[in-house]
Amino acid sequence: MDPEQVDEFVMGYLKKKGFNSAAKHLQESLHNNNGSTFSSIDYHNDPELNKLIRSFSQSENDPSRYREGYSKLRSWGYNSLDLYKHELVRVMYPVFIHCYMDLVGKGHTQEARSFFNSFRKDHEMVHLRDLQKLGGVLAPSHLQEMEFARSLRQSKINIKICQYSYDLLLQYLHRTESTLMLGIINEHINFQVYSGQPNSASDDIEAVTIVGSFHETADHVNQKEIHWGLLEDSLEDRLEKTGGLLSDSEKGQGESKAGDMDDSKKRSAEIGKQGSSIKKLKKDKAGTATTKVARQETSTVLSSMPRVKPELAMPVMSTDVEESILEDLRNRVQLSSVAMPSVSFYTFVNTHNGLNSSSISHDGSLVAGGFSDSSIKVWDMAKIGQAGSCGLQDENNQTVGLNGRRNYTLLVGHSGPVYSATFSPPGDYVLSSSADTTIRLWSTKLNANLVCYKGHNHTVWDAQFSPFGHYFASCSHDRTARIWSMDRMQPLRMMAGHLSDVDCVQWHPNCNYIATGSSDKTVRLWDVQTGECVRIFIGHRSMVLSLAMSPDGRYMASGDEDGTIMMWDLSTARCITPLMGHNSCVWTLSYSGEGSLLASGSADCTVKLWDVSSSTKLTKAEEKNGNSNRLRSLRTFPTKSTPVHALRFSRRNLLFAAGAISKPSS
Amino acid sequence: ELWKGEEKMSIVPKETIEVIAQSIGITNLSPEAALMLAPDVEYRVREIMQEAIKCMRHSKRTTLTASDVDGALNLRNLEPIYGFGSGGPIRFRKAIGHRDLFYTDDREVDFKDVIEAPLPKAPLDTEIVCHWLAIEGVQPAIPENAPLEVIRAPAENQIYQQKDGPLIDIRLPVKHVLSKELQLYFQKIAELTMSKSNPSLFKEALVSLASDSGLHPLVPYFTNFIADEVSRGLNDFLLLFNLMHVVRSLLQNPHIHIEPYLHQLMPSVVTCLVSRKLGNRFADNHWDLRDFTANLVALICKRFGNTYVTLQSRLTKTLVNALLDPKKALTQHYGAIQGLAALGHNVVRLLVLSNLEPYLSLLEPELDAEKQKNQMKSYEAWRVYGALLRAAGLCIHDRLKIFPNLPSPSPSLLNKGKGKVINTEPNKRKLSVDSSENRSPRKRLIATDGSDGGPSPMQVDRPTGDANPPQNSVHPSSSEQASGGNAPESRNAKENQGSKGRTITRKAILDQIWKDDLDSGRLLVKLHQLYGDRILPFIPSTEMSLFL
Repeated sequence: MDPEQVDEFVMGYLKKKGFNSAAKHLQESLHNNNGSTFSSIDYHNDPELNKLIRSFSQSENDPSRYREGYSKLRSWGYNSLDLYKHELVRVMYPVFIHCYMDLVGKGHTQEARSFFNSFRKDHEMVHLRDLQKLGGVLAPSHLQEMEFARSLRQSKINIKICQYSYDLLLQYLHRTESTLMLGIINEHINFQVYSGQPNSASDDIEAVTIVGSFHETADHVNQKEIHWGLLEDSLEDRLEKTGGLLSDSEKGQGESKAGDMDDSKKRSAEIGKQGSSIKKLKKDKAGTATTKVARQETSTVLSSMPRVKPELAMPVMSTDVEESILEDLRNRVQLSSVAMPSVSFYTFVNTHNGLNSSSISHDGSLVAGGFSDSSIKVWDMAKIGQAGSCGLQDENNQTVGLNGRRNYTLLVGHSGPVYSATFSPPGDYVLSSSADTTIRLWSTKLNANLVCYKGHNHTVWDAQFSPFGHYFASCSHDRTARIWSMDRMQPLRMMAGHLSDVDCVQWHPNCNYIATGSSDKTVRLWDVQTGECVRIFIGHRSMVLSLAMSPDGRYMASGDEDGTIMMWDLSTARCITPLMGHNSCVWTLSYSGEGSLLASGSADCTVKLWDVSSSTKLTKAEEKNGNSNRLRSLRTFPTKSTPVHALRFSRRNLLFAAGAISKPSS
Repeated sequence: ELWKGEEKMSIVPKETIEVIAQSIGITNLSPEAALMLAPDVEYRVREIMQEAIKCMRHSKRTTLTASDVDGALNLRNLEPIYGFGSGGPIRFRKAIGHRDLFYTDDREVDFKDVIEAPLPKAPLDTEIVCHWLAIEGVQPAIPENAPLEVIRAPAENQIYQQKDGPLIDIRLPVKHVLSKELQLYFQKIAELTMSKSNPSLFKEALVSLASDSGLHPLVPYFTNFIADEVSRGLNDFLLLFNLMHVVRSLLQNPHIHIEPYLHQLMPSVVTCLVSRKLGNRFADNHWDLRDFTANLVALICKRFGNTYVTLQSRLTKTLVNALLDPKKALTQHYGAIQGLAALGHNVVRLLVLSNLEPYLSLLEPELDAEKQKNQMKSYEAWRVYGALLRAAGLCIHDRLKIFPNLPSPSPSLLNKGKGKVINTEPNKRKLSVDSSENRSPRKRLIATDGSDGGPSPMQVDRPTGDANPPQNSVHPSSSEQASGGNAPESRNAKENQGSKGRTITRKAILDQIWKDDLDSGRLLVKLHQLYGDRILPFIPSTEMSLFL
């Protein structure tokens, strides 16, 4: 290093550190002493000083410091005491991503990449998806542009660490004088030091998602009060009130059974199997046997739940609709871990890869499909059953339908792929959402489009009617969820807060809340009246695809891209337990009528039934023990290579499932 | 070197950027610009892919298609890439000479070919088909459902667990859920078995039991049912018979894994074989039941003897105990003998024949019509005697049959003769009838074998002369002599025949079985002492000619 360079460097250093007067002084003295070999401090000829300066200048610019520092810290962390290792290793990930982003930010793209590639394996297991995103960050401008990176840069990550681990870490950093690592840790990590023994490695899922100062907000948000009780004067309540009448009118039940059997005949006819009608009859018989006892149980359970007032003006239900619902509730088959439901499966054939979504009406008689060619098709299964019984002879010619016409209703109006098509609770309307940013309301009676709701700025991924109809919620790529009523063209509420696409939406049974699942790997609960976020559920490791609320309003299940299902307690925002079993996207979830079973449908071509009643009971008992409980997978029903797109428990607890058969590609 | 290093900055190489620039008409792109662009291109591509994956998820798919990429471009307000709208997966081809280079096969198509080609078929319209995925939690075995995995017997699972898992085996109580259909089926079968009124329907039920798949969940119930009914219905002959038929059908069913339940089933079956009283002693033909059950036992041993090593030994132990206990009733002895006989000739030779002499001496007084006044008892004794005779006879027949060099009469003929003997035997009561009946098939055998030459006249003569000594109970010493004399005789005969030029190799075999032969000879003589003429029908004629 020649003297000129040294001078330059010292100047730069002084300026950078803000020692302006010193810099000025140096410059002056340099200027004055130009040509002379003497200065106030002869740092050119002092070998010690020269060395120091050299090392300084190197360290300022040398990107390999990051690699060195990090790999030292890493090997120290992995060789630390077993008891504290998992806490120390947890520190590695933020250090790693910030080292990488520092390198990128300073323009050392090549080093950044090689650094990233050499250590990414360590974190792939837990943070794969984040790493995939960050892997694309290659220029300083990307850091600014990419929201994920920006939020990481701007906020601190909270890490809970026990006192001893913390001391260990500090000791190490000071002893090795790894100022760079210390700097990064100081800058980006917020340690929450607690006394006592370290937590076990498994029980904090929170370590998984780190999106900025999320946890603080989440903790703050989750303090808010929510009322998860059912609505006053709900149909269940009414059923209970009329319960006295019911128990002596068992004949009425018998009659209703007859109706049910007619229904079953239709269905069995379309299946075209002789045995099935007998099966169904038997099933019904078995159903009646258990219903009576069971209903008393459920009613007592439900009546013990708190009641809340509706915050929205509820639509008035017509008496005959109410009657039919009450009738269904009376005839509900009680399900439990020993009394399994029957599953009726609707398989879409010849979809040519075009079926984006499907849904089943509450009574299972209507099936809607949203297609990528912008069309919606609605099948009336009851009609198909009838037609099938009189025209079995031309079953070879399935495509032409039985009267030479297609046997579905085609609804055309959207101008982009339809991503959802769902039924109103009585089945008289279909709500569809599309990539053309609109939501459309269709009448199944008139087979016509009634309203086109415009408001979202991007593709609308999902739209769902409230449990009582009239209101509906939608969610979109524009990161908002919106509440609408059928009679207004504009949304009533807008819920903003998710950090990425809002992928699915679901109403709380009391209509006062909606839950949204997002690509930011969180689920949020929003108050419909105020539009505020009242809960943030953190724990998923990938995009949330499906949501379901338990009928008692206390629990929520969410399914993600990896096949994990999480059961949440709404009041505490804690995950009761993850349900592991699926190995691919969980497209759909559905609670049985009384909330004892959860059905999940997945891209791995199975329908799984989970016993969630035991957990509910267990949690109450275990609140004292603090144990994490186990939810059981009860059954797995594999389909013949048909991913399960939609599930619906009818009010009578018959499970309907739908999916498009996929031929394994050759 | 610097350039080379920085090329790795992005997975998009500088050259690609340059090629693309040229393709859209920018010829003067500086290398620096290309280098700057490369990382950005990679970032944009990643961004598009991220959005495309979202579109794929919302289309409920797990494979990315070109339409998803179009959707992603649409989300970013970009023009989609046209020309990939077919919906199907794009076929990539490997570029020859490059490891990681692929291209889409985009061939030039002649308009003429397209126009002249016949119109393609209209694509099939979307339909919905409906089926039951599960009925009350059980998947019906219909073609719409995925083929069920082979139902594993729980016992196998446990063994498996014990092998692999930890040493502590926690067995949770398993609730067995039975579908309504199976419950009904079981009820119907149980009713039919109990009612005995509709034999033709019962027969069909048995066929169904023996052939239907999917009955496996019922096996424990059937096992229970059989065990219960057998213990309860020992007086009900028809019921027992029906139950044993059910057992046989279950055994025959290829879809049922009955092994785990055998230990529960065996006591019932053995009961039907060696119980003192099965149905009415006088009115019912419980002998038939015992015969049937004996065959059943043999069937079980044959099928599961390999997997259950102790099965046969335990069974034979039970049976021998029953046989050798003089306090047990004659009916029980009969069952034990039949059971042992059905298990094969080796069992008979080892277990029955070794005990034959003392047993017969016990039986002797019962047989004598004068000593045993009770007619029923004497009938039973004769049944036992017949069974013993048959067992011993079949055993010796089998032994003798293995001599290869002796031309035996054609099997069908032999069987016919044998069958007749077996059929007639149990019915005879008196010695005289017995011997006369015995003689007739033998004579037929001899007649057909007459072409063999020399010995046949001797045969005709000898039996009459020989018929007496056994009845007078020959002294042991003379039997020794007889056997001693017998063996060389047969040996000579064989050697003669061998030298007659049959085959020389057989000689070797002959030498090997020499000892067996000798034993058999002794056995034969012994049997002859004990049974007299009655053993003769079981002996192949040629062999008998030598013996006699």
